Amino acid sequence: MDLRPYLDELERFADGQLSEAEQEAFEQRLAQDENLSAAFQAYEQFTADLRWVAGHETLRLRLRNLDKRLDERQTALTNLETRTQAARIRWSLLVVGLVLALGLGAWFLFRARPLDAERAWAHYYVPDPGLPEATAQRTNNPLLIKAMRQYRDGHYSAALHSLRRIPASTLGDDTLLYYTGVMLLRQDEAGAARSYLTRAAQLPASELAGKARYHLAMAQLRTGQREQARVTLYSISQNTQNPYWAEAQAALRAPELFPHDL
Amino acid sequence: MPQPLAATLTHLRVGNQTFLTTFYQEHRDIFAAWARQQHQLAPAAAHELFRSVLLEFYDQVADGRLTKLPDDVLEHMYHMAAQQLKATSAALPVAEASRRSRLLEQFGQLGSDCQQVLMFFYFRGYNFKKLAGKMGFANATVGRLQKASCLRRLYELHLRGE
Repeated sequence: MDLRPYLDELERFADGQLSEAEQEAFEQRLAQDENLSAAFQAYEQFTADLRWVAGHETLRLRLRNLDKRLDERQTALTNLETRTQAARIRWSLLVVGLVLALGLGAWFLFRARPLDAERAWAHYYVPDPGLPEATAQRTNNPLLIKAMRQYRDGHYSAALHSLRRIPASTLGDDTLLYYTGVMLLRQDEAGAARSYLTRAAQLPASELAGKARYHLAMAQLRTGQREQARVTLYSISQNTQNPYWAEAQAALRAPELFPHDL
Repeated sequence: MPQPLAATLTHLRVGNQTFLTTFYQEHRDIFAAWARQQHQLAPAAAHELFRSVLLEFYDQVADGRLTKLPDDVLEHMYHMAAQQLKATSAALPVAEASRRSRLLEQFGQLGSDCQQVLMFFYFRGYNFKKLAGKMGFANATVGRLQKASCLRRLYELHLRGE
């Protein structure tokens, strides 16, 4: 049945839009007019179905929107967790990096560094302490006394100058050669020291010859004559009478001085 | 406020759907886990199935096919979901079911404003003044005319479908 001719009227009646008199008149017609009555029945069924559809659709939309909200919340939570985790990883990496950097820095600062040749030489070289004051005084040689004082005080150039002013006739050759060599070696003139010390070492009668050999060996080492130095030090180390025999052994054992020998 | 279980069906019958939306919110993940385990459904498909089951549950309550709330509602939902997946469900009488499903389809052909107007009026029970306020119409008369126009449009679609 087509409701369209009746729709306005039925709708106004069903929605309570009629006045009291109109409603009474409509209800009378409804009781008498079969067509209107049938239309009213059809309209009631249609709106009942529509109510069901509206409820169904309302719930469907509510659930769909709720689902969307839950998905968004889930995504937001996942993102937050990811961001938190990423931040935690970033901080952990930063801390690990910092610890590594600190460790590396500490290692770099406090590592056992191999000595370079110059430092190794300075480390193993045992210089002559010079004549003690009392011994120097006993020589009655004021220039020697002065030179020894200057030497002990570390003024090697001045000490050498004083030593060279001593007339050769007042002091033994071996003493002059030995201390000149020792002082030159102390002021870092190993090449020049070598010739004085060689001559001092070659004076067999001299008490200073043994000591001169040690300083000669160290002068050779300082000037790169490693093989000669090794031979000289070896001969010293075999002679326990030499006051430097222990120092010679120590130098021979030092890998920084003789990397391929031991 | 949680509703007492006994009152749940009554509330649903008079259009209070809060029980079902809350149930969906609280059990969505549990249901998805069940659907993944039992039927190898991805989360999105499981959520859609759950919504469809809740709609069917609501329809059953509204139609009077379900008169007693199951003791274990979630278990009941699993059972309904399994039935839906097998495409067998306790249907309405054929004539009524096909009439309603046709009307539902025709309702879907209306514009979203019309759908909203009809849902507000026929489901939520808003009067014309409230309807106008909700929809942004000038006054109650405009609301009434809009509702009448939407109803006519739906009826015409309905006539064309018969």
